Amino acid sequence: MTSPMIEIVGVGKSFGAHEVLRGVDLSVARSEVVCIIGPSGSGKSTLLRCVNFLESYDVGDVRIEGRLMGYEHAPDGSRRPMSARNLREMRREIGMVFQHFNLWPHMTAIGNVAEPLRRVRGLPVKEAVERASAMLARVGLSAKAHAYPSHLSGGQQQRVAIARALAMQPRLMLFDEPTSALDPELVGEVLEVMRSLAAEGMTMLIVTHEMGFAAHVADRIAFIDDGRIVDEGPPRHVFHHSKEPRVRQFLQTYHDRNSF
Amino acid sequence: MNPDVLWRYLPSLAIGFGVTVLCWSVGGALGMALGFAIALLRRLRLPPLRWALRAYIEVFRGTPFLVQLFLLYAAGPSIGLRLSATAAGVLGLGLYSSAYFAEIFRAGFGGVPVGQIEAAKSVGMSKFATLTRVELPAALIAAVPSIVNMLIVLSKETVVLSIITVPELMYQMQTMAAETFTAFDAIFAMAVFYWILVEAVSRLGARVEARVTAYLATQGERA
Repeated sequence: MTSPMIEIVGVGKSFGAHEVLRGVDLSVARSEVVCIIGPSGSGKSTLLRCVNFLESYDVGDVRIEGRLMGYEHAPDGSRRPMSARNLREMRREIGMVFQHFNLWPHMTAIGNVAEPLRRVRGLPVKEAVERASAMLARVGLSAKAHAYPSHLSGGQQQRVAIARALAMQPRLMLFDEPTSALDPELVGEVLEVMRSLAAEGMTMLIVTHEMGFAAHVADRIAFIDDGRIVDEGPPRHVFHHSKEPRVRQFLQTYHDRNSF
Repeated sequence: MNPDVLWRYLPSLAIGFGVTVLCWSVGGALGMALGFAIALLRRLRLPPLRWALRAYIEVFRGTPFLVQLFLLYAAGPSIGLRLSATAAGVLGLGLYSSAYFAEIFRAGFGGVPVGQIEAAKSVGMSKFATLTRVELPAALIAAVPSIVNMLIVLSKETVVLSIITVPELMYQMQTMAAETFTAFDAIFAMAVFYWILVEAVSRLGARVEARVTAYLATQGERA
């Protein structure tokens, strides 16, 4: 029996009195691409950030290939936050791409990609640089290897960020609104890289507002509203046959805004 | 103006200038090192240590440098701290400025965007690697203008050392004025020396700043 790549069971999370996630269940199989859509403030990003424990969750389980994320069981059966060492060990297998790229501005493109290989994977400089340049080639940025992030366009920065995550050879990738901070013309180049990743069989969990991309690339769509998954299924189901009024209303607004 | 008097006292003024530069640079370096250590220690989640460091900063920022220096030099011996005037002056400058430098570095750390730290966490970087490879460079680069500013302020605080008879520029100037009754000439000469020092520091600072922030320039600005 093989465990799903990501298994989220009954996950709940509050920021003070505000309940952001209210018992979310979601699982992602190996090589599956799942897009999470929904209105702003619905808990999409929080859910994604719980998967690599950038955000802690209060109740429920997040399991990565069967292993509980962020917590470990004490001998008395209660659970406590996992050791920093174990957390790092789990995180390095999970790539993450952020809305605002989060490149390190004082390092060049290739420096950004090579840094985790050096510090986390412990590769010697030569190997780290070789693998980093292969990754930059992979996202079409060989020519910009020695440019600093401030000299790159948003789309290029995001592709460097993808290369940085990919270079670690993660088992799965998380994308937190990867195109939301980009000029419309630059969205395509980033989606193109993501599409090719999906085609290669990378397991991906993506929070996005790009409905067209979600419809074409995702195996499954999860619609989340007010901290709950309201509907879930293949794109065709969610986009065209959902019986949930909240989903239909959201998609209607989206269509109205995008048709002219 | 009396050129003859100025000429006669030039050697002693030059020596005073040398002592000023020495006290300022050693005291400033000491203050920077201490301030940096304090800023690092304040990041530890140890409440008693935090309160102690906070109190240290409040004391050294909240009292006049003159008072601190006088206590150090005059009251030091009663607790077994017997220092020469110059050593007390350097140590005093170091302690006094360390409180300011600690705040400068704290602000530098606080200014590192949280996303850059999250990116380091997400690839599994250790706390130490995140500190040395991501937070420190960003914090230090951001702190450069404030550091240069503090060093300029400090260069002028050195005049206070004359009170405890450190033979620095102010002290030499007072000697010259007292011996020759040429207060104006003496003050004028002193002002020129300080101006040279401050000008040198700010130019050097501007170069360092341009150098460390070169990566932030957009292509257009760089070309």
